[in-house]
Amino acid sequence: MALFPISSKFDGDFVLKLVPVDTDDTMAAVAAAAAEHSVGVHVPDQPGKVIRARAEGAADPYPLDMKLSETGLGPTDTVEFYFE
Amino acid sequence: MALLERSAWYDLARSTEWTPSYISEDELFPPEMSGGEGIPAEVWSTYDEPYKVTYREYVDVQRQKDEGAYSVKAALERADLYNNADPGWVSILKEHYAAVALVEYGASFQEARYVRWSKAPGMRNMATFGMLDEMRHGQIQLYFPHEYVSKDRQFDWSHQMMWSNNWVALGARHFFDDMLMTRGAAETSISANFAFETGFTNLQFIGLSGDAANAGDFTFSKLIQSIQSDEARHAQLGTPLLQMMIENGQKAKAQNLIDIAFWRSYRLFTILSGIPMDYYVPLEVRESSFKEFMEEWIVTQFMKSIEDLGLSKPWYWDIFLRDLDEHHHGQHLGTYSWRPTLWWNPAAGVSPEERDWLEEKYPGWNDTFGKVWDVMIDNFVSGRPEKTVPGTLPMICNVSQLPIVGTPGRSLKDTSIVFEGRKYHFASEVDKWIFEQDPERYKHHKNLIDRFLGGEIQPANLDGVLEYMGLGVVSPGGDDAHDYAWLEAYKTALAPAG
Repeated sequence: MALFPISSKFDGDFVLKLVPVDTDDTMAAVAAAAAEHSVGVHVPDQPGKVIRARAEGAADPYPLDMKLSETGLGPTDTVEFYFE
Repeated sequence: MALLERSAWYDLARSTEWTPSYISEDELFPPEMSGGEGIPAEVWSTYDEPYKVTYREYVDVQRQKDEGAYSVKAALERADLYNNADPGWVSILKEHYAAVALVEYGASFQEARYVRWSKAPGMRNMATFGMLDEMRHGQIQLYFPHEYVSKDRQFDWSHQMMWSNNWVALGARHFFDDMLMTRGAAETSISANFAFETGFTNLQFIGLSGDAANAGDFTFSKLIQSIQSDEARHAQLGTPLLQMMIENGQKAKAQNLIDIAFWRSYRLFTILSGIPMDYYVPLEVRESSFKEFMEEWIVTQFMKSIEDLGLSKPWYWDIFLRDLDEHHHGQHLGTYSWRPTLWWNPAAGVSPEERDWLEEKYPGWNDTFGKVWDVMIDNFVSGRPEKTVPGTLPMICNVSQLPIVGTPGRSLKDTSIVFEGRKYHFASEVDKWIFEQDPERYKHHKNLIDRFLGGEIQPANLDGVLEYMGLGVVSPGGDDAHDYAWLEAYKTALAPAG
């Protein structure tokens, strides 16, 4: 369990944002943390939709229950978030 | 006593040289200070400055320029511009003076380094006047805003900004250290005088002077004209050097210096000119968009001067042209969103009428950047102002030191590399390319995010960041320039029927 910074590229946003998360967080929790800084701030909400996370440029998202520490991401790596 | 005509003695005086006998040429002109390695010794004396002036002539003309600018200032002080000008214009003044005044003073050191270290006698002579120019620019651009300090503490940043850790200061210092202060005299004259001054400041000052007159600020207009007339002269310092480099088989080196300096200058100008021109200048006096200005003055005129010398457009030309439609809009959204980190009050510039103008100048603006503004406007109108300032920091480019922005849904991306075990993030392929040209030059610098994550900023929250940047210390941070009056049109439009 350790504080871990990621770079959030939230679909519809105009800027990459620094988001502090935890290595024990699931990717669903990581997505929620990223959403806090984008949805309703710079990106309109899409109620009822799930926010997914994937490595920048990857085709497929991480499983929602996958832990951040299992993704192979390094500190400040950029993660793409989008409404599914 | 009768004076000789300048033409009777100038060439002899300016090319007077000495041949060192007690020390070597490299001891007199150390390569790391003088630069220009590989240019044969006999070539340096052929440097022919395009603008010739004597000290007597220089002092006389400069005195007249100062008299003109200071007397206009004195005459118009009673007009009380501060209270009568559009607040967006006042913000431009705050941004300008803080970003420029002390840099001009730094530029006097840049020119002083030519005076001592340049191997070209003609360049040493001309740089002496350039050095004096820059001292004048530093002094006059500190004196003029001083009038406003008692009215508005944010003007104190004119003197404080470059000594602070404000994020704009980190970017400006990184840029000016790279362009003005840390290369040999020969290389600096190409980066700073040819690319930065000829390409950007000289032309930008012409536009800025016109904007000032349109906004009714004749004091600032006169000041900028006065500075620009010096700039037009000493900006020419680099061109003969560039020709010497090209003629002596160093075309690739010259091109590389211009390619680096052009991009870095352009990106800095998206903040200093791009945002003000398209968002702060009152709509009724706006003449051209930033993109139009860049296309007319930079794309057409500066590029012609490059091609006349036998050089090419920078390799990233297509990226640059696309960027003119995008980057400064993202930086404006960023600076407005993180307005507490600014020393000026940003104008939003997105009233319905202003959005029509933006859509006309930048087709598609409403469908991209406009959608982000829609979310912010909804928060303002619906009584959620706390949601209009992000609770975290933007990722910052390790070269430009600016937030990594892009067109929403289209071009926002991270460009990163790992070098010697450290990860570096860049705002574009060009910034990454610049880093890769000389990693030793850039690798040690820590941007704002590196400092934040490294524990240098305490407490590690937004309040700690603001204090680190000098906000709430030098002056309060920024807030909407027009006190959110522009939102009235949206409140009416979004009001429930009945």
